[in-house]
Amino acid sequence: MIEVRNLSKSFGSVVAVDQISFTAPNGQITGLLGPNGAGKTTTIRMIGSLVEIDSGTALVDGFDVVQEPDRARRACGILTDARGLYTRLTARENIRYYAELHGIDVARSEATIARFTNWLDMASIIDRRTDGFSQGERMKVAITRALVHEPSTVILDEPTNGLDVMTTRALRELIKRLRAEGRTVMFSSHIMQEVAALCDEIIIIAKGKVCAQGPTEALLAQSGRENLEDAFVVLAGIDDETLNQAEAG
Amino acid sequence: MAAQRIPKLKTILTVAKKELTDHLRDRRTATMIFLLSIAMGPIILLGLGYFIGSIEAKAEKKEIYVVGNEYAPDLINFLQRQDMKILPPKPEFRALIKQGNHDAVMVIPADFNEKFLTGEAKVELVYDDTRQSASAASEGVLRRVLRAFNTEVATLRLMARGVSPSVLRPVEIQDTNLGTAAQRAAGVLFIIPWITLIGCVTGCTAMAVDLAAGERERGSLEPLLMTPIGRDALVMGKGVAVSIYSLGIAVLTLMGFALTLKYGNLPAIGSVLSLSAAQYGMFFLMLLTFAPAMAAIQMLLATYGRNFKEGQTYASYAITLVALIPSVAMFAQVKDATWQLFVPVLAQLMVITRLLRGETTDLIHYLLPAAINTAIFVVAMVLIARLLRQEKIIFGRA
Repeated sequence: MIEVRNLSKSFGSVVAVDQISFTAPNGQITGLLGPNGAGKTTTIRMIGSLVEIDSGTALVDGFDVVQEPDRARRACGILTDARGLYTRLTARENIRYYAELHGIDVARSEATIARFTNWLDMASIIDRRTDGFSQGERMKVAITRALVHEPSTVILDEPTNGLDVMTTRALRELIKRLRAEGRTVMFSSHIMQEVAALCDEIIIIAKGKVCAQGPTEALLAQSGRENLEDAFVVLAGIDDETLNQAEAG
Repeated sequence: MAAQRIPKLKTILTVAKKELTDHLRDRRTATMIFLLSIAMGPIILLGLGYFIGSIEAKAEKKEIYVVGNEYAPDLINFLQRQDMKILPPKPEFRALIKQGNHDAVMVIPADFNEKFLTGEAKVELVYDDTRQSASAASEGVLRRVLRAFNTEVATLRLMARGVSPSVLRPVEIQDTNLGTAAQRAAGVLFIIPWITLIGCVTGCTAMAVDLAAGERERGSLEPLLMTPIGRDALVMGKGVAVSIYSLGIAVLTLMGFALTLKYGNLPAIGSVLSLSAAQYGMFFLMLLTFAPAMAAIQMLLATYGRNFKEGQTYASYAITLVALIPSVAMFAQVKDATWQLFVPVLAQLMVITRLLRGETTDLIHYLLPAAINTAIFVVAMVLIARLLRQEKIIFGRA
């Protein structure tokens, strides 16, 4: 579970995140929807205690990310857009390194790796050096690496960026599987269809603020529109032009 | 901010093991570095041996170049009695000497003989003392024989006037050289510790930079910092890995020197110098703290870099400094002094030179530099860990 209360962050004079509050409960998929620059990534980085919090609190499974950063980090697995792998190590070695850093014994980490290899169709690449991996292959290794300690909370920042259809589908299946296991899944995206298709709950963020929150139907009702994209534009309080710019960017 | 904790040894070792595996897999670079390290000794010692040998040969050479033999029959006669072989120089000898390609030349002017009788004779010595090569060494030979000629002529003239030749030498000089052969060799073999220390620094630069700036450029720093291991353990693990690498290079370099000294055919050097296993052991002990200190400094400099290139640029300043400090000390003719023990590089060089000269070393010669190196390592590690808490360092923003 993720609980965020009045979270704020400024970079110099730029307010990136402004008093954001939301809850992402267990066994649900929560979507963080917003144009680029809305503050999604900064919010996620604060939850991962990569970025210092200016004010407010963030709790992962009840652990405050500032007071108990280690326990909070253990409780969640985060995939940011930094998905760099060690190219001279095999995919398995890359993942195993993280398992060791988390203090997980070999038997358990191998079982997890086997499971993810199966789910994400990685059998042909798992023992290859990651040099020359395609973007999709890199993402599969990166996500396994981020989740190798079997966290109860999973946060994925724009996970489908740059992925082909098959990898996107595999990823979607994985996200549903994680929910079925009772984990908290939160992912950010600026792609409406993806969010609409997967999420139990959607949080719309624009200009560092939460504009609306609820299941797809509730958001449609609240905005009086027929599809999520239109609803998003109304609720985020932005015109079509900025949205297009954001999507293009 | 997280409370300060003691990083776990197991985590540090996990990081160190991974970094070493990762870097040794880069076979090309690793092989290159290892081969160069071990080749350094033979290349330098053989080159040095040849250089010293050729200088000694020149100094003992019985060949001299003279222009104007016919103007000074007495002098030429004297030189021939000294078993000197008198050769005519090449016509363009002045230019050749300037280029360093000709031995020094004695030029006898046409009026030598008439002035010789009145004691006003002059000869010209043509050489170039800015050059290490040819003319500098042979100039000494010419000067020596001329001095001998002067003494002989003066002695004869005094005796002809009934004066004892001893008036020429109010003080008789008796040579007692206290310098041992090992000490003289140490002057040259100073290059062994110097090269080894530089190797310690240069060899691990690529790795130090990769572990700092490279990690970020690759996009692997962010996920790493989101694991619960903490910055301290991460940085320490990397520091240990780079230190081991650096130490390995130093040992290889030293081995290259040791094997060349032992088995290489080096009449000019090998005969006067051999190091005992204990002396190598002492040297290694010094490197044990020197290598980590240098690794840590480079990592710290590289962490400031926004990318690999920038990191490398910063780290190269450390190399320049290590290469420069000893040469400055050499030019400034710094003598052994306790303050040197406080300056890394100078401290190691001073103690090792003492070992090479066969002089005694005290415990303080080892403990003080070791303490300073350890302090440098720890401070650098703490500073890097602190830097890794700054957003602009993590995300590489300007």
